[in-house]
Amino acid sequence: MANSSDTLFSKALRLSTLLAVAIALVGSLLGYLFYQLPGVFAALLGAGVSALFGIMTILSIWFGGKLSLNGFYALVLGGWLFKFLLFAGVLLALQNAEGFAGPVFFFAVVATVLGGLAIDSWLVLKGRVPTVGK
Amino acid sequence: MDAVNIAELTGNIAVVGYGLAAIGPGIGVGLVVSKTIESIARQPELAGRLQVTMWLGIAFTEALALIGLATPFIFV
Repeated sequence: MANSSDTLFSKALRLSTLLAVAIALVGSLLGYLFYQLPGVFAALLGAGVSALFGIMTILSIWFGGKLSLNGFYALVLGGWLFKFLLFAGVLLALQNAEGFAGPVFFFAVVATVLGGLAIDSWLVLKGRVPTVGK
Repeated sequence: MDAVNIAELTGNIAVVGYGLAAIGPGIGVGLVVSKTIESIARQPELAGRLQVTMWLGIAFTEALALIGLATPFIFV
């Protein structure tokens, strides 16, 4: 049977994915208006990359919680390090790309990250996580 | 009299930005994790709840890092 933190994390995953899809759609539209096709590409990439990182954090805490305490920290912090190396690599690759709509990418990242934070905060505040664990 | 160069720096100043974008969240995540470990050591029965709260702390800290790393796209 799913416990309350399973419900919390699965709801967070669902809402984060929906948010990323919504931002990708709106961002593509705005990106197309300002930068044509490169704007659409940048909005999709910005929303996708930042949603992926939010989702990786949720998954690492969710599945790490099922491990021992050492395993939990190894998964969460190792995942964090891996994520940032990956993000820095993506940014380095994009910086040299010809005709990339940087501002659209930036605003898509900011919107997805802030929206994800709002969802996470709301869920934790409303969520019913038992004080005494398993 | 001409100014004398005593030191010369070459490279891109944005690299300093990357470094600064990593230092802050690094310290932040370190604090979040160390305080959570400390709290779990004091009250192990609260581990589940503390781990969920830690998720929020890490999410806020990594938001700063992601935004900081993406800023070269608008500041160039």
